[in-house]
Formats: sequence, C-alpha cells, structure tokens
Amino acid sequence: MMIEFQNASYSHSKGNGVNNLNLRIDEGEFAFMIGPTGSGKTTLMRLIYFDLIPDAGIVIVGKYSSSTMTTRKIPIARKGVGMVFQDYKLLNDRNLFDNTALPLHALGFPAKEIIDRVDEALDLVGLESKVEHLPLELSGGEQQRACLARAIVKEPDILLADEPTGNLDPVASFELVRLLETINEMGTTILMASHNYNLIKGRGRRILEIKNGTLRGA
Amino acid sequence: MDKILYLISEGFKNIWRHKITSFTAVFSLFLALFFVGLIATAGENTHKILQYLRAKYKIEVFFDQNVPNEKALGLIHQIKKINGVRTVTLIDKEDALRIFKDQFGEDIMDILGYNPLPVSAVINLVRTSKIPVKAAPIVNKIEAMDGVSEVRYQGSLIRKIEYTYYRILGKLPIVAGIVILVAVLVIYNTVKLSVYSRKQLIATLEMIGATRTFIKMPFIFEGFFIAFLSSAIAFPALLATIETGNYILANFTSWGIRLNFDPIIWIWLIILSTCVTALGSYRAIAGILK
Repeated sequence: MMIEFQNASYSHSKGNGVNNLNLRIDEGEFAFMIGPTGSGKTTLMRLIYFDLIPDAGIVIVGKYSSSTMTTRKIPIARKGVGMVFQDYKLLNDRNLFDNTALPLHALGFPAKEIIDRVDEALDLVGLESKVEHLPLELSGGEQQRACLARAIVKEPDILLADEPTGNLDPVASFELVRLLETINEMGTTILMASHNYNLIKGRGRRILEIKNGTLRGA
Repeated sequence: MDKILYLISEGFKNIWRHKITSFTAVFSLFLALFFVGLIATAGENTHKILQYLRAKYKIEVFFDQNVPNEKALGLIHQIKKINGVRTVTLIDKEDALRIFKDQFGEDIMDILGYNPLPVSAVINLVRTSKIPVKAAPIVNKIEAMDGVSEVRYQGSLIRKIEYTYYRILGKLPIVAGIVILVAVLVIYNTVKLSVYSRKQLIATLEMIGATRTFIKMPFIFEGFFIAFLSSAIAFPALLATIETGNYILANFTSWGIRLNFDPIIWIWLIILSTCVTALGSYRAIAGILK
C-alpha cells in the first residue's frame, strides 16, 4: 500500500502544520522522516491516518483518498495502518495481552485467532513472557515494544512510528529500529519520524527532512 | 458473536477496572432511585392517611323528643340512602341513658325521674371517595327531614382536612416530577463524568481503527450494569425503609395504617435508570468522538 501527498497543506489554529507537500512512499518502503520539534512530522503522520484532513490538496493511502474520506470510512481506512507513538498510549488498566489484542477485537477477529496472533506479535517483539504484565510494570523500552506489538498484530500494510525512540535510551532505540527493519522485511511499508539523526543515518533508507512544514529531499 | 461477547464482557470488566468511578456512579444512581422510589411509594400511600382521617369524620343527629325508636329507625333508613353516608348507628333513648351514665357517672332517671335524652344517630362518611368529601350537603338533607331536632358535625375541620389533602395531592406530581428530573440529571451527569474520565481510552480506540459502535457499546453495556446494580440495591433499601415505617406505625401509633410497596415501582426504576444511563453514555461518547 503506497502513500501519496499531492500539494497537501494543513494549518493548525496555532499556525503550525504542513505546506504544499508532495510525497510518495512506495509499497514496502522504509522511510525515515527527520526534523525539529514543531516542524510538521506529527501533522504529516496524522494526515496519513486521516486524523486530519488536508485544507488543500489530497492525501492518498492505498485505495483511500482524503478527498472522499468520511467519519464512517476512517475506521475502515485505519484497518491497514498501524501506529506507534512516543508516549506509547497503552491502556494502563489492562495487561499486555489485552492491550495487544485490542485492535483485533475492534476488527472482529475470532477469539482463537486473536490468541494466536497476539502470541505471534509478542513473540516477535520479545515480550512473550510478559503477557500478564500491566504497562506500568514494564520498562520504557518494553512499553514501546508492546506498542509496536499492538500496531503489528493486525498485520497492517503501513506502519507509522511517530518518534518511537523519543523516550528510550540508545540501546533500546537501536533495538527498536532493528525490529522495525525486521517488520519491513516482511513487506510492511514503514514511515518513522525521529529527531535523532545518528540513529537513522547509514541505514540505506530514504530520509525525508521536514522543516517549517515543508519537505526537503522528498 | 465473539465481538458481541467481547463488548459485553468489556462493559462488565470496566466496572471492575474503574472501581472508584463505578462505586460513585452506583451510589449516586442508588440515591437518586431511592428518592424517586420513596416519592412514588408516598404517592401510593397518601390515600391511606386520608382514609384514616375520614374514618374519624362523624355527624351526630338528634331527633325530636317525641320521636320514638321505631320512627327514628325509618329516618335512619332515609339517611343511609344519602350519597356520601357510609354507616349510620342508632342510639336509642336507653343507649343514651347508658352513655350519659358512663360519661357523667350519674343516672339521670334518678335525678329527673324521666328520660329527657332524645333518640340520636351517629353517621360515618365514606372513606374511599376519590373526590373531596363534603359534609354540608349531607347535613342540609338531614336537617330538612321531619323529626330531626339538631345536627352536630366538625364542618370546618372536615373542610380543612379535605382541602389540605387535595392541595398536597395536586402538588405531588410536581414534586415527583422535580425529584425525577433531579434524579435523571444526577444519573446522566454521573455517567457522563464516568465516560469523560476515560477519554484516553476512547482516543486510543479511535486510533487503532475501532468503529464508533465498537467504542460506544462497552460504555452502554457498562451503563446497563450500573443501572441494574443500583436498582438491585434500591429495591431492598426501599423495602427495608417501608417495613421500618410499618413497624413504627404499628408499634408507636394507633392509626392502623400499613404502607404498601408496589414492585411495579421498582420495575419503573429499572427502566428509568437503564434508559438514562444508556442515553448518558451514548451522548457523552458522541461528544468525545471526532
């Protein structure tokens, strides 16, 4: 599933946003996006999962276009998109298994398949022994991997990672990027935002630089 | 099917996951339902107090001195036919003598050598009338009868009791309406607060691609459970309160009143709380969802 921005712009009420973006990320690609805080990385991500609809231009994600997007269609469009956040957004009142299984319940998977898929996802991120743990009983790195497990459990075509290493130490950050590369090798298109250039340089991936809402090197 | 079971179980688990919020919601709902139940029960039982008071209404009729017992009996038959009269008791001259002796300790026959007390009758009025009981028209009819010397009754007291009762009865729906409205607002806002306290959960569910229905349903089921739980507690609490009331009435008063609790009231309480919690949950989530 490819991602395409055609002259897409979005302005927040505070003034930040993205400006006349033209970008194409091909199916199966792993791209990094780098830029300082407030440069528009998160806005770009939110435009991809239709949390925002551009003021001008079009964003196309697979067969879905922002120009025809409706409230009812958004959950359907998000079925193919997994998300990893800097602050994890795990639900602290349920254990790792329940957190990971949540997207599958939302998509109506049968109970048996949910168990198999959750086991597989937790195995992939190395958390198979912590299924009963609550998020707050895990380290920052483990919570981020749990967030990743929740994102990949539904086997999305696209994985968006918004500053996933922002709260992690260098070792955990490196391990997470390696994990994302493994997932990409399975065919998932990945866009990862970061402001840590040292972490992403020299990996042979395209690096998109965003500054004041405008892309360079797209 | 798995999805529906999951949504129901999530609704139930949410109560356990958010114990304090759930406890607050259940307690608030219980209080609201309890007061609505009390008002409804009071409405059901006010007529018993009126019936008790009406049983005390009494009209005393004194016949002319020359009216013998036989003629008095004929007059009593006529009085019984008057609308609003429940019972008429004849007090013949001999009964009057005995009553006089009981009350004053003297035998008037010994003093005067003859019985000067007239034949009389005591009239009790209907207790179950749905309209205010008016003694004056009955008294007027009795006074117009040939052979009636005097009629005594507590006209102003009866008027006051009837007027006050029907005034209260007229205001009761307004009071009940206000109590129900307050209860509805309490339930509605408690549920809304409970939903708002989980905005992060809703936001996360939206981001992982959950549909609006999927997000709403556990909250609505949770609302149903809370409503049912509150009603389940309100039922024995109401019963206990009414039984305590009955114990006090039976042991510390001579009114002979026994309060009833109609289980239909409880069914209405369940329906009220379920509808309001479902609506509250639905509207609160709709307000949060983008």
